[in-house]
Amino acid sequence: MTSGQILFELENLTHRFRLPQGDVTVLQDVSFKAREGEFIAIVGPSGAGKSTILRIINGLLRPSEGHVLYKGKPLTSTNLEAAMVFQSFALLPWLTVAENIELGLEPRGLDVAMQRKRAAMYIAKVGLEGYEEAYPRELSGGMKQRVGLARALAVEPEILLMDEPFSSLDALTSINLRDELLDIWADRDFPVNTVVMVTHLIEEAIELADRVLVLSSKPGQIAGDLTIDLPRPRRKRDKAFSEYVDKIFSLIA
Amino acid sequence: MDKPGGTKTLETLPQIGISEILGLVELLISKGGREDIYKLASELQMEFGETLAVIRAAELLGVVHTPGGDVEVTEVGNRVSEAGISDRKSIIHDQLMTVPLFKTLVQYLNENEDHEALRDEVLEKLAELIPNENAEQTFLMLVNWGRYAELFGYNDDSETFYLDLEQN
Repeated sequence: MTSGQILFELENLTHRFRLPQGDVTVLQDVSFKAREGEFIAIVGPSGAGKSTILRIINGLLRPSEGHVLYKGKPLTSTNLEAAMVFQSFALLPWLTVAENIELGLEPRGLDVAMQRKRAAMYIAKVGLEGYEEAYPRELSGGMKQRVGLARALAVEPEILLMDEPFSSLDALTSINLRDELLDIWADRDFPVNTVVMVTHLIEEAIELADRVLVLSSKPGQIAGDLTIDLPRPRRKRDKAFSEYVDKIFSLIA
Repeated sequence: MDKPGGTKTLETLPQIGISEILGLVELLISKGGREDIYKLASELQMEFGETLAVIRAAELLGVVHTPGGDVEVTEVGNRVSEAGISDRKSIIHDQLMTVPLFKTLVQYLNENEDHEALRDEVLEKLAELIPNENAEQTFLMLVNWGRYAELFGYNDDSETFYLDLEQN
């Protein structure tokens, strides 16, 4: 699935945060290109600037130096072709499941009937039928993150950004959601085919992604760019899998 | 188990979400379908009691069984794993219909007009059916599993619990 056109390009990104005790460089000279159809995982220790990269791709943050080209053009404001899934789910507690998902469609200029229809389609896609009128407080973490995923997918973005999407979930629930995410992504009719996911878990990156960008920390720099050439489903106990783990681990350490 | 006099012992399901059960099935399949329960608990870094609760819930649903000290995926569990996201829900629907407590609640709702009941009425019914269990927790579990399987629905604004008749 990696033969597509170049979707975006990060060129020599450096980013500094201004803190009272002085400037802190979180990213230094980060460059890479993403092709349409790729599933990229960015892996690295905390403080490596992984989430900062996602915010820059999303246009929520402008880098101190360098730029982002989206389909060849400089990105200067929020990227409406991107949608984000958050670690903390980011659901509005006073809205139902269906309303939370529809909310993401409002700014995209869809009328109410279209919003309903689109939301219903993605509710079905992530397995949330039956939960439409539930409030977030009634849901388990796994179901909340399905809402977060449906809300992002319903926008039908060209690129899906995921910031540690499974980190707040217990071990078994995250196994289930990773499995279902791959099912959804493997569906050929599915309009969203480029994914950038940030994770601190090396095994999670190898299990899901076609390509793993390894960031070293303080400041975040690209320490490796690996193609994961393994058939899915990938099993942790396979030899080739653990060779990738060792390789990435040595790049970070 | 049948008690003398023909009344069934009703067992509630542990407070376990469906995602955890599906995760357990996937994990076991990645290990060849079967694993020692102690090993599983330590690998997952879960408390042993909690691991047992997940396994018990999965067993009640018929997706695993527990020969000796092991836990093994059943034929139904394999079907769940291979099914797509929405087919998975209908298999779980069928499995829930084999669980006595769910069957009893379906019957109860069918006896009611409009196939629905207020939350308080259901809590009363649960206290009568399984007096030793916390009715509110059992209710939450019924709502969560019922919603997933599109068997029951619940509207928290009107506090109405109902049979989901929108069959797929």
